[in-house]
Amino acid sequence: MSTPKRFLFVLLILLVGLLAACGPAAPAEAPAEEAPAEAAPPEEAPAEEAAPAEEAAPAEEEPAMEPVTIQVFYPVAVDAPIAAIFQGYIEDFQAEYPYITVEPVFSGGYGDVQTAIQTTIDGGGEPPALAVMLATAIYDLINADYIVPLDEHIAGMEDGDAYVADFLPAFLANSYYDGQLWSVPFQRSAVVMYYNVDMFAEAGLEPPTSWQTWAEAAQALTVTEGDVTNWGLHFSSDWPYWLFQPLAIGAGQNILDDDCTVTFDDPAVIEAVQFYIDLSAEYGAMPAGVQATWPTDPPDLASGATAMIVHSSGSLTGLLEQADFELGVMPYPGKEEGTTASVPGGGNFYMMNGVSAEKQDAAWKFMEFITQPDYVADFSINTGYIANRYSAYDTDAMQAYVADVPQALLTRDALQSAGAELATQNLGQVRGIFHDYLQRAINGEMGAAEAMAAAQAEAEAALADYCE
Amino acid sequence: MQSQAARKPFKPLPYLLTLPTAVFVAVFTVWPVLLSIYQSFFRQRMNIAKFREPSFIGLENYIDLLNDPYFIKVIGNTLKYIIGTVPISILLGFLFALLVNRKVRGVGFFRLAFFHPMVLPMVSAATVWLFFFTPDYGLFNTALRFLGYNGPQNWTGNPNLAILSVIIVAIWKNSGYYMIFYLAGLQNLPTDVFEAAALDGANGWQTLWQITFPLMRRTTLFISTIAFIDAFRTVDHIFVLTSGGPSRASTVLLFELWSQRFEYQDIGVSAAITVIFVVILLAFTITNFIVSERKEA
Repeated sequence: MSTPKRFLFVLLILLVGLLAACGPAAPAEAPAEEAPAEAAPPEEAPAEEAAPAEEAAPAEEEPAMEPVTIQVFYPVAVDAPIAAIFQGYIEDFQAEYPYITVEPVFSGGYGDVQTAIQTTIDGGGEPPALAVMLATAIYDLINADYIVPLDEHIAGMEDGDAYVADFLPAFLANSYYDGQLWSVPFQRSAVVMYYNVDMFAEAGLEPPTSWQTWAEAAQALTVTEGDVTNWGLHFSSDWPYWLFQPLAIGAGQNILDDDCTVTFDDPAVIEAVQFYIDLSAEYGAMPAGVQATWPTDPPDLASGATAMIVHSSGSLTGLLEQADFELGVMPYPGKEEGTTASVPGGGNFYMMNGVSAEKQDAAWKFMEFITQPDYVADFSINTGYIANRYSAYDTDAMQAYVADVPQALLTRDALQSAGAELATQNLGQVRGIFHDYLQRAINGEMGAAEAMAAAQAEAEAALADYCE
Repeated sequence: MQSQAARKPFKPLPYLLTLPTAVFVAVFTVWPVLLSIYQSFFRQRMNIAKFREPSFIGLENYIDLLNDPYFIKVIGNTLKYIIGTVPISILLGFLFALLVNRKVRGVGFFRLAFFHPMVLPMVSAATVWLFFFTPDYGLFNTALRFLGYNGPQNWTGNPNLAILSVIIVAIWKNSGYYMIFYLAGLQNLPTDVFEAAALDGANGWQTLWQITFPLMRRTTLFISTIAFIDAFRTVDHIFVLTSGGPSRASTVLLFELWSQRFEYQDIGVSAAITVIFVVILLAFTITNFIVSERKEA
């Protein structure tokens, strides 16, 4: 091999290495034009959803408005044709506001939407006017100056206070900061417990009303045949904070007080960790250790491999389709007899910083439009998300739906005993710390109290830079 | 490869032809690396208002990282992952290639069977594996029990097994890919040396290790480079299978980089990890090349 060729070969290998290393490694530096790729509008949406007849105030013949185009980044996190549904709403909206063009940009999961927006803004590009991101992302988004408050737009409404007051309060828990409103609920869910009513009936059991009766029911419904055990309860813990929170709330103390105060080492939280461990260690009602079973739990319940699961309310529609038994839905039983607990989840609409006032106005019109009761009801019915406004439950469509699927009301009612979802400053790191130590406790590497004390100390250190 | 690269007049055409590639490499590789090196000397966190503007802190990001027991753990996990995946998938790739290089009936089926994991998208494949790994009824556990295994079955949730489970999926995914390179190499081998070996009375084993394998050395170099880089950059299945857990037991370098950049929004530290990443890959690639060139001499 001659020297130049040898050199070229080395160079080639180096480049392959560099490309491999840098492709995923340095996304922040990707030129901005890359990020918001003019996503092709979703395939012609079959308007089978029969977009709710809209009576809303006729677009006050906005005289010769300048045409404006806004982008909306949204994720798909449930098993529903969100893109088609969304496209239908956009067509209705554009019919009413012909000068506004809305470009929906499907962007993957929640994390991907946020990543895409971060990359766009950090790279100096123009973000979309509107995005659906996790309600809990609020502090990170504010601190990075990615979003703007909505109070001005609310104040401009005919009755802004009534508009805001109509949202279920649990869904606004992570919308306020510094006395301002930063997001409007959109695709919202809650943690619930699903159970196989038929199995309960066969075993002569009532739905649980406390930790005690919950654990006993799970124990009674655990059946071993040969090598295979059908567990009474599946309780996924691979990304555990969300499903765990209702345990802590049910014990009397959520895992946070506010954006700067976590309460991981509170005795009630420790008790909740211990209860999770005891479900397998004491009652033998659930597999031991961390269970990486989020995607497999709903099919397991549907196929009878388990009698109970805890999961998102968003799985309701899929479970109802698959289960050939009567499906029960309820919040977690609390520690004390007769108490229950849940926690909300899901995504809100955020208005992005760094887009023109015209676009922000158009974006607000779209938010207002799509959160009208008829659309909220329609979205809930077609996706399984919880309708997030009280008035949506008064619509004819929703009335008819809950008459048919009473479980849809149960998911809403679960929210009455809900605490706030974990949302703190420096959320990624604080949540990572909590996951780390909670999983150590669950896997028996540390005692519950010891693990939570360590988590508390590390989380406080991680919050120090924000909360002095 | 013959060399005639003596003194020749300068010809612009080859350079012109490589220009598009060179531009891409400069924009998408060289520039980001330089930028990362620069950013790694600054403190910049997008989600802390007072650290949003970068401030120069010298080597502090590197010092913090190397003193952070989590980061050391991540490096350890990465090493385990590399040692677990690279040699075994290369060896399996070679064996598969030997198998499917034979002229036997149904060889097409085996080629397909070995290669199909490569065609599947990693995320879908990992989702399927998640079901395989399910305790009790999962296919993987059922098969193991049939073979007499009665250890822990909670592969993805057990702190000692989580990394092994992502290694298993990576081996399954990559071996068939490496097989293709070996197969191509085997089919290009000169037949005369094998005839000579047969005349000299070499047995199958001697032929394999003293002729086939040495002749495949360049292929092996290429594959080991690719495999090593793959091991660093394949994290899709970790998101699906373990989310880096439990308790970060399966968090590898690139996963940590993603967390730092997009979850913690820490630009300085993620730039420092990027630089460490690039340095490791460069060091490996150059060493690998030098060592193999020396052998040839």
